[in-house]
Amino acid sequence: MTTAAYLALGAVLFAVGAVGAVVRASAVGRLVGVELMVAAATLTFAAAGVGFRELDGQIAALVAIVVAAAQAVVGYALVSGIRRPE
Amino acid sequence: MSVDQIVFTAAGAVCIAGAVTAVAHRDARTAGVALAGTLLALAVLYAGLAAPAVAGAVIVVALFSTLPFVVHLTVPASRSNATDGPRVTGAALVLGAAVLALLAVAIVFGEVPVNVSVRSADAYDLAALGDLLAGRAAVAAGGSLVVLLAALVAARAARRGRSLWR
Repeated sequence: MTTAAYLALGAVLFAVGAVGAVVRASAVGRLVGVELMVAAATLTFAAAGVGFRELDGQIAALVAIVVAAAQAVVGYALVSGIRRPE
Repeated sequence: MSVDQIVFTAAGAVCIAGAVTAVAHRDARTAGVALAGTLLALAVLYAGLAAPAVAGAVIVVALFSTLPFVVHLTVPASRSNATDGPRVTGAALVLGAAVLALLAVAIVFGEVPVNVSVRSADAYDLAALGDLLAGRAAVAAGGSLVVLLAALVAARAARRGRSLWR
């Protein structure tokens, strides 16, 4: 496979996530959409890094994954708080 | 059709199908499981990219961050939970569209080598990755870990219903 195939898959994944983030009305749906967009960006980073034969793309992908985990933690905690008011 | 192409086709199909299901399905439980499946298919793609460290990180995030929160959140969830205020989503869309446009321009001008085979014959240099993380990318790695720790503290405070600013 070539880098172009991975970049195309990342673009499709980003488009699906963007549509979900815009169209869905629920908070969980929006969070899932943003999560998909971050995952697509991570795939693009890793593919570009492999294409350039550099490890920097993987470093960027790892940083994006950690930030996505932080986003998921805060987002789901907030949504959980919204769902169950004390 | 080579093994690489078969793996890419299968994992890519699972990835897109899971993403579409996660976005389109109204049941939050189904959406959460589909999202976890998408992340695991992405891990297979990273392994095919000769990036096992990234694949491992994705698996850890999927199994220990995304999946538990989705399950915790959606098991007692109702089907309708509308919220307003899509500002964060709009900002993410603007940033993502800008990055995609930048990538498209770079490809058009030949700055991104899209025809390079991603099949690597070299051994995976985990030591070089560690050196890079501890060296040139130390600030980024440390900053992202600080963000993750702050997010965990904030989530814990939010779950307890306390404010972080008092």
